[in-house]
Amino acid sequence: MSTKKYSDNNLIVEKIKKFRSKAIKQKHNYEEKQLDKPISFWIKEDRLLKKKGKEFTIILRTKGCSWALGPDGGCSMCGYVQDSTFEKIDQAHIKNQINYAFQQKLTEIEEDKEDYVLKIYNSGSFFDDDEISESTRDFIYKKIAKIPKIKELVIESRVDYITQEKLIKMRSSLDIYIEVAIGLETVNDHIRNAYINKGLFFKDFLEAIHLCKINDIGVRAYLLFKPPFLNEQTAIDDCVSSILKLAELKVNTISINPLNIQKNTLIEYLFYQKRYRPPWFYSLFKCIVKACHERDILKEVRIISSPSGAGSKRGIHNCLKRECNEVMIKSLRNFVLTQDINHLIRSDKDYSCDCLVKYHLQKRYI
Amino acid sequence: MNYFFELITKGVGFSRIGRIICSKESKRFISTPNIIIPMKKSLMNNLKFLEEFEDHEIFLILKDFYLQIGFLRDKFKKTGFIYTHNGSMESFKGILASNIDIFTEDNIIPSIPFNTPTTVINKEFAEEEIKIFIEESNHILQQHNNLDFGLSIKIYDYSELFDLYIPIIKNNKNVRILNLVDLFDNFNNFRNIIKIIFKIKQELDNNLVLMVSGRIIPKFYPILIYLGVDLIDSSYLLYLSAENFYDTIEYLLPIYKIKYFPCPCTICQRDLKHSLTDKYSSEKTAQLTLHNIISAYTYMNKIKLYMRMEDFRGFIEKSSFDDMNIISTLRVLDNQYFNILKYETPLTQINKVINCHGALSYNRQDFQGFRERLINRFTPESWTKLIIILPCSAKKPYSESRSHKKFHSVIRNYHDFPDFQEIILTSPLGAIPRQLEDIYPVNSYDISVTGEWDNEEITIASNMLISLLEKFDERIPILCHVKDLGYFKIIENARSKIKNKIYFTEVKNNLTSNESLLSLEEKISELKDSYNLGDVIPENKNFLKTLTRKFFKIIDYQFGLNTGNKIFCNGIKTWRNKRSHQIEISDLLTREKLGKFNASSGQIELNLKGANRMLPFSENSNYIVFDGQKINGNTLFRPGIVSFSPSLVPKDIVVIFDKNKEKIIGLGSLIVGSNYIKNSITGKIVNVYEKI
Ligand code: SF4
Ligand SMILES: [Zn+2]
Repeated sequence: MSTKKYSDNNLIVEKIKKFRSKAIKQKHNYEEKQLDKPISFWIKEDRLLKKKGKEFTIILRTKGCSWALGPDGGCSMCGYVQDSTFEKIDQAHIKNQINYAFQQKLTEIEEDKEDYVLKIYNSGSFFDDDEISESTRDFIYKKIAKIPKIKELVIESRVDYITQEKLIKMRSSLDIYIEVAIGLETVNDHIRNAYINKGLFFKDFLEAIHLCKINDIGVRAYLLFKPPFLNEQTAIDDCVSSILKLAELKVNTISINPLNIQKNTLIEYLFYQKRYRPPWFYSLFKCIVKACHERDILKEVRIISSPSGAGSKRGIHNCLKRECNEVMIKSLRNFVLTQDINHLIRSDKDYSCDCLVKYHLQKRYI
Repeated sequence: MNYFFELITKGVGFSRIGRIICSKESKRFISTPNIIIPMKKSLMNNLKFLEEFEDHEIFLILKDFYLQIGFLRDKFKKTGFIYTHNGSMESFKGILASNIDIFTEDNIIPSIPFNTPTTVINKEFAEEEIKIFIEESNHILQQHNNLDFGLSIKIYDYSELFDLYIPIIKNNKNVRILNLVDLFDNFNNFRNIIKIIFKIKQELDNNLVLMVSGRIIPKFYPILIYLGVDLIDSSYLLYLSAENFYDTIEYLLPIYKIKYFPCPCTICQRDLKHSLTDKYSSEKTAQLTLHNIISAYTYMNKIKLYMRMEDFRGFIEKSSFDDMNIISTLRVLDNQYFNILKYETPLTQINKVINCHGALSYNRQDFQGFRERLINRFTPESWTKLIIILPCSAKKPYSESRSHKKFHSVIRNYHDFPDFQEIILTSPLGAIPRQLEDIYPVNSYDISVTGEWDNEEITIASNMLISLLEKFDERIPILCHVKDLGYFKIIENARSKIKNKIYFTEVKNNLTSNESLLSLEEKISELKDSYNLGDVIPENKNFLKTLTRKFFKIIDYQFGLNTGNKIFCNGIKTWRNKRSHQIEISDLLTREKLGKFNASSGQIELNLKGANRMLPFSENSNYIVFDGQKINGNTLFRPGIVSFSPSLVPKDIVVIFDKNKEKIIGLGSLIVGSNYIKNSITGKIVNVYEKI
């Protein structure tokens, strides 16, 4: 683990750790049986690299993100650690989790006409040996290699664990398209480190992309939409500039995650104090349209977004009317699947909600 | 020196009437104080908005799109704009760079925004962020040093962090507007608010335009202006409108509860009235927004009017009753900041009725200033042999009231009545020697009189009476012709502090009844020769004339102890100038004109002859040293001033010396006080009314 300082603004760390320790105190004692099943897994429509297809997603239960468990307290909006065990667990459990998920879904996948992208997430780093050991990774590669329907693989990792040898190993084990997802959150170092406490510099991210590229591995960058301490317009500005920069760097996929309020986090505290409101859909749309309009960005990079908690108070939402949010969720989904920006541009015949006026009037203060 | 803001009239507290110079060539000015109206698409879509605000002087633009189109300039010809951005500093810089021509040529002032972080988790966090903001702003300011800027100031509730901004403001002369973004978000913090305002006024250029944005509602406008704010951004009303609040100035009411519309604007009387029962809709929100903006705008017009036509302090007091924090702010200012504010608040107003609204009025700056000056500068006449204490009257000056006329019918019957010193007890001013009944505020205050005095009133009057009486020989008898309990208490308090013998008349029914007046007469006869004066009656009998007595004391009040003796040494001749309603004053012997008394301001305007008699000049008097030998024009500007006395008060009469401080070269009426002169490098300082 690197010990370099990420920000002069260490002040946020103490605060984050306070909430983190609350989460750790509420720790769940998992029975052996539970450890043999993933946190969750599903199949859903999704955008593949060049066409529509399906995703098979498995969320593994592991020790948990080292960044969140370490002395720096983790990211200010992230509560994933809540689902983890905090202690090292026997790798056999992880293999069992994989096996279990495949057992349940293999037939469905094999019988499907559409191609699949497999996403293995562990709310931490796939390449962190403490979470997933080398032998477990080999086990997973072998498993995937046997299923021809799986055309793409996505795993996620913090930059610290992405090494040349791990990439070579992965590349040589699989001959499908692989994408390493990295939580960059924003191209702005200050927002990333002082507000999100990501512990990552942009230059280290650049190095990681370089490593992936020379190993013929794709890069997926996560962007956090409306990080803590930003208002709606700054969130738009920040995300637009991130999209433009990442497109210039030719990352393969940009995945925009509108912030959602997770348990026992700094952002939850700000949310309860009414000092933070999750983003509006209007802002997200504006942002994507602004970044892509009149530019050929979408030819170079795919932009995706499947917000968690969308339409609820704790997730991205407009007003709390169901119809209003559903329309937005659907448009976003259509955009992601087709990569056609017109889905995000409102036309007069579309459903329009009164809350748009409210959004315009209040934007400056939220 | 290019200048941006010009102060025209100094008002009470830090309030001021001024203007921002957009373009001198095209004579485009923005008068201040003023309200800034946001240009919002949702408002602009409404024709009524354009109609209503076509002539408004200053708008806020938040979208760069408005910078591009000629529409703005066509429709709003005489208008100034402030541009700011709601998002990241990066974007702001980008927009600034790509529209630089528009900012240089036009009347659009860019204001550097401070949007991130929206909130902080502790003081250190806030400090770090402010430092980053300042660094970036410094960069922008230096890069565009030919452009005037607004600078956002955010302190996140840590008032001490304001200090971080002082260097950047001092070092960049192109910072013209300070936009206090969050200072007023929490008025409970009035103590910190006041601290920061005083810091701004004492450490920074007083020609900086103070703008406030943030969570501000119209009922705070008067106190904000009292605190020196020049521009108020009304944008928060948009937010409140979207929350369905209807602003009546006094209250913010949920629109769905409103049955009667208290506002005559067309929106209320037509649109809102008819959509009263409609459910929430964007249209209704738009109408509500428009009403709220119009109502704030109208209120601001009222304030602007009252600043010019009425006693503005009284208006602020009235407005304060809608919010306890405003009352507290006023009290703290009156009680703890008088020593600074006394150089900000004029000690005269012309033709205005000063209504006292109760305790909040007792310690108005001008009342305190008056009391302090009176106590410091009043000296007894050497020939006083009897002190008569009388109650006040509603009519001003007192001597023209029915009751005082009756008192005088007794008192002035004595040929030696000039040897009596009359002192009038009054709330809330205190104790007034008869000679000063014609000056401000004695000539213009009004208070409801019920005969009941509260403790504070009694304390104020007692203290002042004691201070006055202490100036007199302790052998001089004091005769009190008063009735109500309050007066007795005051005199009782005085009795414990002074040695003079105190007598009372016998009052039957009221003070003007025949019996009471008879008693007054008897007591005067009994007491008037009980103290042996010796040889103090002045040879020059002119000194005993009522007007002469008054003008001696008024001139002392204005220019310091003993001035009257210097200027009016030969006695004076006066006559009423029928045209100007002023009293001309000339030397009794030499017939030289010395000045004139202006009854509406209560001030004596000396002329050069009169002023020259003050020489050698006492350091405590009002003077200004001009950088030259001769004044051109009728206004003295800041750069022409070499030095000045430290206790100048706006609207006071001031003597102007030549460069070497040898010769008086002019006389004028101050536009501003010492604080302002000290903290400014441009601006008008004196209206010169006479010069050599
Ligand atoms: S966001 Fe990612 S890196 Fe940050 S704490 Fe959560 S899992 Fe760890
Ligand atoms: Zn809605």
